[in-house]
Amino acid sequence: MPAVTVDGVAVEVAASATLLEAARAAGRWVPTLCFDARQAPFGACRACLVGVEGSAAPLPACTTPCRDGMVLDTEDPAGRRVAHAVVELVLSELPQAPAPHTELAQVAQRLGVEEPRWPGETHAPQPADTRHPYLAFQHELCISCGRCVRACDELQGTFALTATGRGFEANVAAGLDEGFRASACVACGACADTCPTDAITEVSLLP
Amino acid sequence: MLETMSKNLVELVRRHHTLDAPSALDVLKEAVELRGEITDADRREAAQRSGLPEAAVYGVSTFYDDLLQPRGERHVRVCTGTACFAATGDAHVDALREAFGLGLGERAADGSVSLAETVCLGFCHSSPAVRDGDTIDAGEDVVARVLSGSARPAAEPAWVSLLDEPVLTRPPDWSGLRRVLNERIAPEALLEEVKAADVRGRGGAGFPAGTKWQFARAAGGDGVQKFIVANGDEGDPGSYIDKYLMERSPELLIEGLALAGYAVGAAHGFVLCRSEYPRSKPALEAAAERAQADGLLGDDVLGSGFAFDVTIVEGAGSYVVGEETALLACLEGLRGTVSARPPFPAQEGLYGRPTVVNNVETLCNIPFVAARGAAAYHALSPASDTAGSKLVCFNERFARPGVYEVPFGVSMRWLCDEVADGLRDGRAIKAVQIGGPLGGILPASLLDTPFDFDALAAEGCMLGHGGIVAFDDATSMRDVARHLLRFGAHESCGKCFPCRIGLRRAHALFAADAPVDRGRLEALLETLELGSLCAHGGGMPAPIRSLLKHFPDELGLA
Repeated sequence: MPAVTVDGVAVEVAASATLLEAARAAGRWVPTLCFDARQAPFGACRACLVGVEGSAAPLPACTTPCRDGMVLDTEDPAGRRVAHAVVELVLSELPQAPAPHTELAQVAQRLGVEEPRWPGETHAPQPADTRHPYLAFQHELCISCGRCVRACDELQGTFALTATGRGFEANVAAGLDEGFRASACVACGACADTCPTDAITEVSLLP
Repeated sequence: MLETMSKNLVELVRRHHTLDAPSALDVLKEAVELRGEITDADRREAAQRSGLPEAAVYGVSTFYDDLLQPRGERHVRVCTGTACFAATGDAHVDALREAFGLGLGERAADGSVSLAETVCLGFCHSSPAVRDGDTIDAGEDVVARVLSGSARPAAEPAWVSLLDEPVLTRPPDWSGLRRVLNERIAPEALLEEVKAADVRGRGGAGFPAGTKWQFARAAGGDGVQKFIVANGDEGDPGSYIDKYLMERSPELLIEGLALAGYAVGAAHGFVLCRSEYPRSKPALEAAAERAQADGLLGDDVLGSGFAFDVTIVEGAGSYVVGEETALLACLEGLRGTVSARPPFPAQEGLYGRPTVVNNVETLCNIPFVAARGAAAYHALSPASDTAGSKLVCFNERFARPGVYEVPFGVSMRWLCDEVADGLRDGRAIKAVQIGGPLGGILPASLLDTPFDFDALAAEGCMLGHGGIVAFDDATSMRDVARHLLRFGAHESCGKCFPCRIGLRRAHALFAADAPVDRGRLEALLETLELGSLCAHGGGMPAPIRSLLKHFPDELGLA
């Protein structure tokens, strides 16, 4: 079992463990947006960069495997600058601030992110897609973290969701983009559960 | 366990592939060729025939340029690559837009004509270039010819070797594969020879090919299926080297693939070539057929018992598909997005199997090494520690543009002034961009820099693919920054956040009619460099850094 040091704390981790798992085992916080421990790591958001002794640049914690003797700095200044910038960029693509209870808002608050330095074009606001009785899309809040798509693939095995578009136009859709109802969706709710921005939410049936 | 790409989808694709099902991308490409656009019925059919879930097919259909731009009865594609930009400052794009009354990616209401953007057609020697239907025309008057309906196929200059003994531009003779199989040289011995030859990847990163092969050879247990993939979709605007290799010397590439297969223990090779080069796939397929007939491919190559086949696949318009994990996703017919590594393709590549991905030119070096050995290969570039030779190509601004085989270690000035004979029309070189859009920009004052991996890296540049694009003295360097960042943002696969949003913002900084805040720009560049998942977002800052260093007064900084 590799033994690694995280911010001065020694931890032993499983042979297959990632830097993020080591940091969490040491009780240290690393900002993440595309990570969900129930899913395979994805490496998209790049908020989780940590310093590794001997490495010229910080490394993505969620996709880098631990090696015995590694020394990690979860508050590496360059890594934190990137995390801060990534959250600014993500906020700048949303037409409205994320609701305070969302994971994105909480990560932004913890990193102390306020006004994005690079304002610009946002996702076009559009009416919420409420064609499904239990699940609603609000596409302009999507940050393309891929968590819903992976939840549908890896947890539910339904493949009702997909990433769509390319570059800044990237988003998510159910089926042939005809909404959840016309897709293979079985309304398990795993996508809404993992969504960090409320781009997919469960429609509450209770008052 | 690290599994950064959907293992489920990849396994699904693998199982259907073994049943000879077409990929979803193939079916969607057929549909758009046939009807000019993709309907939901086409997507359902693609899902049914490929076995991919409908949603995944929808995702594929919204990713590739070729599937997104609707086609009229007449489909005109205008090249917006860097060489064409250097030639006209995009005046050819504006002229076509005005004349057709269409934006890029639009089709006339009556369906008669459509205008699309394409990056890059590989006619950088004769820019600007336009593809009208199946005809690629290029040159100063190309817009007038296209508008009068008289587009004609543009000529391509012959390639020239400056070596006494050409490696890449010699007529292919299969001597490497013949020697290895006839003399019963063991796969391990061939692998050792390639390692001793120190063949460095010609696609940008310069990674030693032998090391990559060794990883793949050692991966998996006995009897595990392995693959060799030639990356023929490295679409660096301004480079047409792979196009020349695939179309003029397809046998050399196939021989290189077979040798790689022999050394690694793979019985199947793939070439993913670019749809922007419509002649590449037919040329490769014809060469593979001839090789099969001559006993150089098949179940028992040259009676040696070694089995090797190749499949030629055409992409659908995405620059990032030149990145190896995105390339494999495209081969599988999926969205061409990048996956985090590990796992590396040598461990888990195509269909989840150990795979070597080599650039086209890299593989074309292998037959010489196999035929003549590592020592002869090292002797090709006497002025450099780098082994072998390199193809370079020049854009239309030069007096003698074309593809040349040169030794490493010569000076950039010699290449630009002697080989390509300087710029035409008495123009002066302001700067050259080497090795594609992710390469740094060398100002004319630094042209004495040697053409070599390390020497160029010391100036913030890279040898990359070997494309050399000159900007002449009339070029605005702010326009160059805007052009490159527009390309970068357009081609971002959208997976990692720094590239997906950051390149859009970087482009906006230069596209606005306002000064660029240097502090904000540099913070954005750092985010891209440190944060991006692949070399696209990580590399786009390199030319911008060069411009900041050498032409700060021209960028309109504040």
